[in-house]
Amino acid sequence: MTGRPNTIDLAKQAKDHVYKLDGPGGPAKAEELAKVLNQMKLALQGVPEYESSPEQVYSLVTGLIEEDLLFLLAQNLHRLPFEARKDTQVIFSYVFRFRPPTASPKTDPVALSYVVNNRPEVLLELCRGYEHKESATPAGSVLREVLKSEAAAAIILYDDGEQPGSSLKGVTAIDRERPQTGNGVFWRFFDWIDKSSFEVAADAFTTFRELLTKHKELVPRYLAVNFELFFEKYNSILVQSNSYVTKRQSIKLLGEILLDRSNYNVMTAYVDRGEHLKICMNLLRSDRKMVQYEGFHVFKVFVANPHKSIAVQKILLMNRDKLLSFLSHFLEDRTDDEQFIDEREFLIKQIRNMPPNPVPPARHAQPV
Amino acid sequence: MADEAIAGHYQVLEELGLLCMSSFYMHESSVAYISLMIVGGSFGVVYKGIEKASGEVVAIKHVSRPYTIPYGATSSTTIDLESTDDDIQDIQAEISVLATCASSYVTQYKASFLRGSKLWIVMEYLGGGSCLDLLKPEPCSFGEPQIAIICRELLRGLEYLHAEGKIHRDIKAANVLLSETGKVKLADFGVAAQLTNIKSQRNTFVGTPFWMAPEVIQQSGYDFKADIWSLGITALEMANGEPPHASLHPMKALFHIPKNPPPRLEGNFSKEFKDFIAQCLMKDPERRPSAKELLRHRFIKSSGKIEALQELIERRRTYDATKTKKRNRPYYQETLQDFSPRDEQDEWVFDTVRSVVPRKATVKSRKPSSIFSTEEALRRMDLKDAPLQPTSPAPPTMRKSTVLRQPSGAQMSSTRSTRGQPPPAMRRPLQPDMSFGNSGSSQRLFRRVPSDGSNSGRASSPNPFDDVADENKHPNAVEVTSKEAILGRRLYSKALDPTLAELHAQTSSMAKREALAKLSDAFAALDAVDPEGVYHLFRNLNATMTQDSKLSNAFLNPLDPTAGPLDSEKPPGTVIIKSVPANPPLSPTKLVLAANNPHLKSHKRRQSAALVHSGPGSPEKATKQERDAEKVALQARYPGREAQPGMEHCKQLSDVLYSRWIDGLRLRWPGT
Repeated sequence: MTGRPNTIDLAKQAKDHVYKLDGPGGPAKAEELAKVLNQMKLALQGVPEYESSPEQVYSLVTGLIEEDLLFLLAQNLHRLPFEARKDTQVIFSYVFRFRPPTASPKTDPVALSYVVNNRPEVLLELCRGYEHKESATPAGSVLREVLKSEAAAAIILYDDGEQPGSSLKGVTAIDRERPQTGNGVFWRFFDWIDKSSFEVAADAFTTFRELLTKHKELVPRYLAVNFELFFEKYNSILVQSNSYVTKRQSIKLLGEILLDRSNYNVMTAYVDRGEHLKICMNLLRSDRKMVQYEGFHVFKVFVANPHKSIAVQKILLMNRDKLLSFLSHFLEDRTDDEQFIDEREFLIKQIRNMPPNPVPPARHAQPV
Repeated sequence: MADEAIAGHYQVLEELGLLCMSSFYMHESSVAYISLMIVGGSFGVVYKGIEKASGEVVAIKHVSRPYTIPYGATSSTTIDLESTDDDIQDIQAEISVLATCASSYVTQYKASFLRGSKLWIVMEYLGGGSCLDLLKPEPCSFGEPQIAIICRELLRGLEYLHAEGKIHRDIKAANVLLSETGKVKLADFGVAAQLTNIKSQRNTFVGTPFWMAPEVIQQSGYDFKADIWSLGITALEMANGEPPHASLHPMKALFHIPKNPPPRLEGNFSKEFKDFIAQCLMKDPERRPSAKELLRHRFIKSSGKIEALQELIERRRTYDATKTKKRNRPYYQETLQDFSPRDEQDEWVFDTVRSVVPRKATVKSRKPSSIFSTEEALRRMDLKDAPLQPTSPAPPTMRKSTVLRQPSGAQMSSTRSTRGQPPPAMRRPLQPDMSFGNSGSSQRLFRRVPSDGSNSGRASSPNPFDDVADENKHPNAVEVTSKEAILGRRLYSKALDPTLAELHAQTSSMAKREALAKLSDAFAALDAVDPEGVYHLFRNLNATMTQDSKLSNAFLNPLDPTAGPLDSEKPPGTVIIKSVPANPPLSPTKLVLAANNPHLKSHKRRQSAALVHSGPGSPEKATKQERDAEKVALQARYPGREAQPGMEHCKQLSDVLYSRWIDGLRLRWPGT
């Protein structure tokens, strides 16, 4: 680095290079773009010899917004050279965190607020980074940082293309009561997690979990409105996945979602279904013991429920003896997992003490 | 499946070497107490493979380590995810650290893919071996010019990593690999940590004791300067053949490093070299120079070309050639999943129509199931004899190579003590690792293929041999049918093998370690082909020893009554030290005893562990443990019976679950 980087037209230069990526000199342009992005990163980060000034950063952030570079970078992330992808990741996280020195720390960072209100496609394109092995990791880490913002999470959850009330028109245009069609970007995660290679799938899952566990108001409402679609996909694609990692992680996440206090309604609705119990009981018999173990933590919710639905009671009673003998030997080698042992004992007791015939639950099943 | 596609890109050629990555796991539960735990060995196999498209040779590592070591031991490798409770997210994070490194001074990560529950990691293949491999031939050290070259290349690697905000945390000769042309690369990011924020300091306890910087040991928080210290130790290792304190027990070294003045290079070396070491080994990390600064050191600036290192590789080749020992390179062989056919009766009944659990294609169990009942009978017999002792074979302990301490809250649940029949010991016989390449980091840590322990406890599976389903297995062991053979096998897997492993772990001299390793392999071979022989050997040995009064006094009577139940509670090989007071119990006398009698040594060690365990003011603890053990034993004995009356211990859980429901109900119906 020699001297001050000229931050004013970095954004413009980068934009020009991005547009030429498709042309005949594509690879050369990619290298030039990489150089510009590296300068941009240094301008944001500062270098030991030269601290970046807030004014300079501010003008760069504004430039990036004006030139729509955030969108272009998100869209072309997988085509950038190796180091440039890492630089882009750093640029995104700096830009999305940046607040002008005069702004109150409570306001949303400028670029983020611009994106959720005016350019939601940036976030959607970052999600689509999971389409490519090259962009999955950098896009994923940017996403997880951005998802700390509820508005950003809402953009991803409520994207529904051109449908009325889709987040495509900005966060304020979202209609939270309209069930999703299942064509939005959020629903693509199921495939990314199930069908990608380990690195991509595991990263996509981490983002997916973040999306579903972070916001205690947004998510329960979303799950309530989209209960059928969500759990149909969740059970058929993730819980029954052929990939060991996907299967195991998604059962664990299912347990976490159900046991989260904010998802009380979702849980009661979930554990009323006999179908769900069947899936879960089959997990207990999986040939992988960690799948059995994670399955157990979902199963316990059905059994501990003091208001079991008739359907659930029937299944449990029909299998009572089998369950009792099965559970008494279940994962016996977990001798040092006291909590597990206690819970297993508890479930055995619960099942043993069930009345011989199903009784209507004391409460009415709550429609969610 | 995308993973299948990736896996298809590689052709696994041959096994390169076996590496054991036994680890040594610590966590701090409070300031005053450190809980130590030596996790069972985790073992790895390195395969040489070919990337089909390019024809490029790659190293494919395949380790089924119990993933209780979030930042892993030596090689970043392949992981049997099934044997870990830990979050797969952590593993993914580790891999993504690997994947973001691209430097010619760092071994290049290629890809990773899943096969069943096993995660395979493909790395660049380096044919020259590790510096530790290259140190083996006489005179067991490198010349000063060669050390200077290696240090220069390492500093470049560190310069790259540190600029990327990464700390390696496990620099040592075993983790420095050479290509055939002499390129030097840092390997093993198993422990690399990403500093997302330069200011944030790490305080996880990671590394290998002898190479650890004082500030890492003291947990005062550390940064990339910790790698510089380890580099200094590695330079000493290359000059002297071993790191300072190598004769000490690694645990003891942990206490020496912060306490003593920093080691210095002594002997017939240049002033520049000595100064270089002194610079690296500044105890105050602030005063320790950075990689960038050290690259300007005179010792480094005057260093030569990497081609000079080829001599070291040649030396090693000659050394290998003189060794007549032939090595059979086992080729990779995929083992079929072997599930026992399930009893249809066992399926759940839903709506009176039988549900069939989706299941992969099954292969008939190839063992007569009658063995199971024999085993079962033996087990019961065993319980009757010792009702208070769980018969769990814990994973064998091997040399501790890498230590990790988590700041807090780490669970001790990592020893998955397995209940039940020992798996037929179908271990591959092991040789000292003679290979070059990435496997090299195994040199000092060699031995043994995946421990079966983690798989043997699949309680719900009725098939006692379902460890055959282990993708790592070589189905080459004989079938066990006679009672003697079963006992022999049991003797091997429960007593002999873990004892040898522990002994090996405690031995630091290379020659002794090799001798032990050979012995261990010999026993493994015997066990594989003739478990009955093992039985007869020890029966006769025992009988002979009884006839000699001195021997019988020394070996056949308990050495010390205080070693009593706690001692025998753990099978030899596992050392679990809970709540160790930070300093006193680890005094040298307790840990290092009569070196000439290894049995005594290991015995005493366990004993001291036991003493420590029930240490200051916690006899209650010991009794509680006994009670717990009793409970467990009882539960195992009477499966399915009524649990203790009252179920008081379950109250907490039911309270939690109920209160959650009630909370919800209250919101809705204030009357409830």
